[in-house]
Amino acid sequence: MRIATLCGMGFGTSMMLKLFIDDILKAEGIKAEVVPWDLGTFKGNQADIIVAPKGFESHLRSAKSIVVLINNLVDKVEIKSKILEAIKTLPKTGVM
Amino acid sequence: MLQVLYFVIALLQIPAVIMGLIAMVGLIVQQKSFSDVLTGTLKTLLGMLILGVGTTALIACITPIQNMFQAGFTGTGLHTFVTFDEGVVGAVQSANIKDVGAAIAFTLLFGYLIHIILARITPFKYLYLTGHMIWVHAGAFAILFYSFGLSLFWTVVLASIVDGVYMTLMPALAQPVMRLITGSDEIAFGHGQTLLNMLGAWVGKLIGKKDDSAENMNLPEGLNFFRDMAISISLIMLVVALVAAIVAVIQIGIPAFEKNISGGQNWLVFTIFQALGFTAGVLVLLQGVRMLIAEIVPAFKGIGEKVIPGARPALDCPVIYPFAPNSLIIGLISGSIAQVLAMIILALIGWPVPLPSMIAAFFASGAGAIFGNATGGRRGAWAGGFLWCFVGWFLISFAYKFQVFGNLTAMGAPALGFTVPDAIVPGIVIWGIAKLFGV
Repeated sequence: MRIATLCGMGFGTSMMLKLFIDDILKAEGIKAEVVPWDLGTFKGNQADIIVAPKGFESHLRSAKSIVVLINNLVDKVEIKSKILEAIKTLPKTGVM
Repeated sequence: MLQVLYFVIALLQIPAVIMGLIAMVGLIVQQKSFSDVLTGTLKTLLGMLILGVGTTALIACITPIQNMFQAGFTGTGLHTFVTFDEGVVGAVQSANIKDVGAAIAFTLLFGYLIHIILARITPFKYLYLTGHMIWVHAGAFAILFYSFGLSLFWTVVLASIVDGVYMTLMPALAQPVMRLITGSDEIAFGHGQTLLNMLGAWVGKLIGKKDDSAENMNLPEGLNFFRDMAISISLIMLVVALVAAIVAVIQIGIPAFEKNISGGQNWLVFTIFQALGFTAGVLVLLQGVRMLIAEIVPAFKGIGEKVIPGARPALDCPVIYPFAPNSLIIGLISGSIAQVLAMIILALIGWPVPLPSMIAAFFASGAGAIFGNATGGRRGAWAGGFLWCFVGWFLISFAYKFQVFGNLTAMGAPALGFTVPDAIVPGIVIWGIAKLFGV
């Protein structure tokens, strides 16, 4: 399973979201590759789930992956519940 | 045998190799698999090389734009430059004149270790996690001490101490305001903007009321495309380059322009592609930064959390944007106005003029406005956003004019200057002290 975190630069907010999600997945015992992306990278790449701040909604309309939008970037409870929910909706074959 | 030793010594002087080794140690400490360690190390090393490619490309495009300004404003003494932290550090580290690139890499490592130790033994329990800022500040302080003519050893020792103190104290300085912004004490601010954000917060407190929050107003959303670097940098550089080209054409005429500046190419086509080429260079450089820090930040986080349990993470500036979207827009507007005003004043007094930066207007003045709003409401937001870029432009120009960080052009970063006040202000203080002692 591949989860991409997204922000304008591809190393600030996205990196932070990646670190949070790594912690969440580790605690839940879920294996996934979490990669920080910028807006340029996401158009030419594949991910099962894309996680981004709420403000990026308009950039993500064409995305084929499951999109998770985060309102409060530092609310670990929100990030956790939304991520775990998104993982549940993935087809099982896509899970490592 | 001796040949092997020479090979190893020569290898260890290459900044890309040192950065790769830092990542490798971090990956081993995290007990990653052999293949993860290998790919992570190689990717970090390649990130450093990509950074070099990007800086070469963007410098190649700044130079003709600079020439246009010079041709257009001959005799007025106007001198422009680009203010872009990652560009300065990337260019200097890639050029690696007399091992300054190696000094930057070692400062990154030892500065962070000092930060972790300070956070452990002092009451300031913050863990600085903003990767590109860790690298930019290590670079700025290493370049600063290197410019005093110190040896590699003393450059790294002094720069690491200043860097470690910076990463520990700045989040603590911002924390009272961060509590107001986020409504909790969970996260801290980890970005080189802190000092000017705090200026916004202090002034906001003086002139406004925090209950009169900008967030109670209705403002249109939709300036979000500024977060797409490719678009915002292209737009601003097109405007800048076209202004420079048109003034140059008015002064010297199209034939002279195409003979001396564009090398025979149509002046308008040439100008447009210098602006876009600059943007392409920035995007390549940012890709390098991404690969450079992708492996190092998780390693630093893993080590830091073991040493300082319960430390607050100090995070990148966009974490506060969702708390105050209106202030962010106020910051973008007031910051853009402030940049133009500051540029006019700087040009009039004959100081070097930093070209407009959308990154500074959006990310920095945006954060400044949010800090100002937290203490002074609407008025605070306007003041915070305005002051960030207004005062910031003077600081940036001062550091460039007086070569606070040494002769950056000779170090491989022509027409580039530092932006963040947390590097410039300590830089000016240390540079001033060094001047007093005749360094």
